[in-house]
Amino acid sequence: MPIDFSLTEEQRQLQALARRFAKEVILPVAQEYDEKEEVPWPVIEKLHEVGLLNAIIPEEYGGMGLRMLDEVIVGEELAYACMGIYTIPMASDLGITPVLLAGTEEQKRRFLKPLTEKPALAAFALSEPGNGSDAAALKTRAVRQGDYYILNGTKMWISNGGEAEWVVVFATLNPELRHKGVVALVVEKGTPGFSAVKIHGKMGQRASGTYELVFEDVRVPVANRLGEEGEGFKIAMNTLNKTRIPVAAGSVGVARRALDEAKKYAKEREAFGQPIANFQAIQFKLADMLIGIETARMYTYYAAWLADQGLPHAHASAIAKAYASEIAFEAANQAIQIHGGYGYVREFPVEKLLRDVKLNQIYEGTNEIQRLIIARHILAE
Amino acid sequence: MKFVAVIRQVPDGESRLRIQGDRVDLSGATLILDQMDEYGVEEALRLKEKHGGEAIVVGFGPERTEEAIRTALAMGMDRGIHVVYEGYADPVTVAEALAPILKEESPTLILTGGQQADWDSQALGGALAEALGVPVVAWTTALELEGETAKAKHDLDEGAEWVRVRLPAVFTTQQGLNEPRYPTLPGIMKAKKKEIRKVAFQGGARVEILEESIQEKARLGKILDGKDPAAAAEELVRLLHEEAKVI
Amino acid sequence: MILVVLDHDGNKLRKVSLEALTRARKLAEAFGEGVAGVLLAEGQAPVEEARGYVETLYVAELGPYTAERWAAGILEAAKAGAKAIVAPSSRQSRTYVGRVAYALRAGLLEDTLESWAEGSEVYATRYAYLNRVTQKVKSAPPVVLTVKPNTTPLAEPLGQAGQVVALSIPPVPTVEVLERVQEEKKGVSLTEANVVVTGGRGMGGPEAFKQVEELAALLGGAVGATRAVVDAGWRPYSEQVGQTGKTVQPSLYIALGVSGAVQHLAGMNKSKYIVAVNKDPEAPIFKHADYGVVGDVHQVLPALIQAVKRLKD
Repeated sequence: MPIDFSLTEEQRQLQALARRFAKEVILPVAQEYDEKEEVPWPVIEKLHEVGLLNAIIPEEYGGMGLRMLDEVIVGEELAYACMGIYTIPMASDLGITPVLLAGTEEQKRRFLKPLTEKPALAAFALSEPGNGSDAAALKTRAVRQGDYYILNGTKMWISNGGEAEWVVVFATLNPELRHKGVVALVVEKGTPGFSAVKIHGKMGQRASGTYELVFEDVRVPVANRLGEEGEGFKIAMNTLNKTRIPVAAGSVGVARRALDEAKKYAKEREAFGQPIANFQAIQFKLADMLIGIETARMYTYYAAWLADQGLPHAHASAIAKAYASEIAFEAANQAIQIHGGYGYVREFPVEKLLRDVKLNQIYEGTNEIQRLIIARHILAE
Repeated sequence: MKFVAVIRQVPDGESRLRIQGDRVDLSGATLILDQMDEYGVEEALRLKEKHGGEAIVVGFGPERTEEAIRTALAMGMDRGIHVVYEGYADPVTVAEALAPILKEESPTLILTGGQQADWDSQALGGALAEALGVPVVAWTTALELEGETAKAKHDLDEGAEWVRVRLPAVFTTQQGLNEPRYPTLPGIMKAKKKEIRKVAFQGGARVEILEESIQEKARLGKILDGKDPAAAAEELVRLLHEEAKVI
Repeated sequence: MILVVLDHDGNKLRKVSLEALTRARKLAEAFGEGVAGVLLAEGQAPVEEARGYVETLYVAELGPYTAERWAAGILEAAKAGAKAIVAPSSRQSRTYVGRVAYALRAGLLEDTLESWAEGSEVYATRYAYLNRVTQKVKSAPPVVLTVKPNTTPLAEPLGQAGQVVALSIPPVPTVEVLERVQEEKKGVSLTEANVVVTGGRGMGGPEAFKQVEELAALLGGAVGATRAVVDAGWRPYSEQVGQTGKTVQPSLYIALGVSGAVQHLAGMNKSKYIVAVNKDPEAPIFKHADYGVVGDVHQVLPALIQAVKRLKD
């Protein structure tokens, strides 16, 4: 099968739509929502209006049925304008994916359809105050009682947690079983005992609402369980194997923004009688940024292709996520350096890029965990 | 009812233009459905939504114009016709190419942009109207269908006027007529299945472009610090009076 | 013959008509043809003034302007055998010449900066791509060309009155004019002003435009607005400068609180001198300005007004 690096006409139209949306709807308000640390519901509503929200939901449940490569195309464009705002639909997809992977037909219809009918979000709750990377050590407890599970515990760093219609919560039925004891439960907004506290003071991605979720004797119907008891951990890992890829796409978007801003500044700023873009030191930085962007993008497309083909993609998505977030962080870093003093103040867009993309190295599996996944793949052969 | 929007594909206003051997080179430019024509597409969609019937997009230009036609289809137009022609064509030639197709479609009205973003031409509306033997309302800012007639507000050189015109007629469109919708994702997917009929145009242009050049007027670029507004204003006025001699 | 369309305001010919006459005479000389004028009016027309510039003056009173009536009038005059038709460039003319050019299957050269003949063909230069590119174009006769204002020396009267021929124009299917909405004429016309002072979104609101008006008045100029300002409803659309507004070419263009989007630049980038005031040092407008002030427009503008007043004293 020959390699074809071109996008289809539809993908180009999708890209044009996302790019225009990013420029006209996200870009003008990104700084404001970052400063206020507020969730931009008008943007979310507009995303729904143009069909870009929760678009991975298959057509049979009322969604757009976008594939991973399509998601990646959209993700880069939206994140170019604001990674924080992009994290909102991205985290919603993170909540939707376990339902797609492990839900019954009835569950898919029940949970997914409402997310296509109005601007609404989903969320994914795995991390806790006491464990992030050590996911199997989770302590949120589920106890079966007749037709319900009684849920107790706390989840931490949950994107969309307080805004979502429902949250996929990973709890343990028996801590001694570690990952074999985990169950995935869909907890609906407004269920008594379920509360969300917004986390303030984030360094970046401040438009995305990040929450601490508290469960106090929350009764979750057994009908809301995804898959079987003990399958929860596998569902979570399979989900993250996929959802890392849009994170990589977001990183590429941020890196591209960093390069565009740096290029613009370098052409206008003069020193020693000429634009600083004429100096090798600056040119080398710009070149390094592009090296990172092009390679990260191509590899992210490859990981997305693997996922769409149904081929194993765990280590590929790990490579994409880790690599893209690291080149993006460096691109933002150098963009600030090129701006000099102006790069250090909020009036210019580049300091936000660094604050935002740093999180890409931490969430959805730290880059250290990504390296473990990659090493495991290497050593398995 | 049939509402036709005539469109073209042009470079995005923010695209960097390059000159290659005496002609503008569009290879690096982002090409889009001309924003002026977009108001026409939006109006056709609104009219169809209000009055029923069919909304048809007619594009003129090279093969790549199909992308712009697809964008219009993604916005909601029902079907498209692509009159294929490579290179420059003056408005009279374009009207000649489109006239037989438009006559065949026999539309209720025809919409097209007031000015084209590549040729900076404002004549297509008038030329099309003459080709079809119907009136033209240029620079329309409001349009209401009234059965056999339409009532419209449009710009004159000084001010504006309300007119009533017997249909069919040509209306040229601009900002203020409506707010064009996004081609949504569902729209993009539906557009895949919509028909685009291709028609080759064999004619030739009457006007030839011999040479194109970009001449950015070199600006003085004297920037003053406005931290002390009074001092900056004083200096600016002095420069305008003594150096530029414009006040 | 070379036919010139003579624009007027009822009482006298517009300056740009005299520019069109210069262009027509140049073509006439090259082709060995005569120059005739066509003077179309809703009511009154400066016949005596106009006949002083041409050998033959065709006149017709057509009632309210419509593109169809004006095109019919010109086509009737052109029946005598026009090799080229030269008209002043305006929104109205650029529409009716579309009709005229089609009817004659002529080569249409729009909004030209210069025009001349070479051999049997007519050549011209004009702007394209939102005023960013200069094109050199040509066409064989019949040619219809429109003349961009302020590009050409004004023609002198011939010293003798030409023959006046009344045209009889058959009625044509056209629009019915219901109501004219004359916009409140606030001072100098934007496209003819020597100085334009434009306020952008950085002005903050409609009240701030009082000072924009004050500065414009002090400098004898017109007030302009950006698309953002018109969209926000602060100023009327007739003041909009830009691709979807008016194109202006004053000696001095002052942009206050304007960021410098390319669609706005297209409407003013040929101004002789451009001044920009903006608090954002990165605003694109500064790249296109001769003089700029990086500062708060709400402080710089009043200071400018004071400085100009002092200069006048």
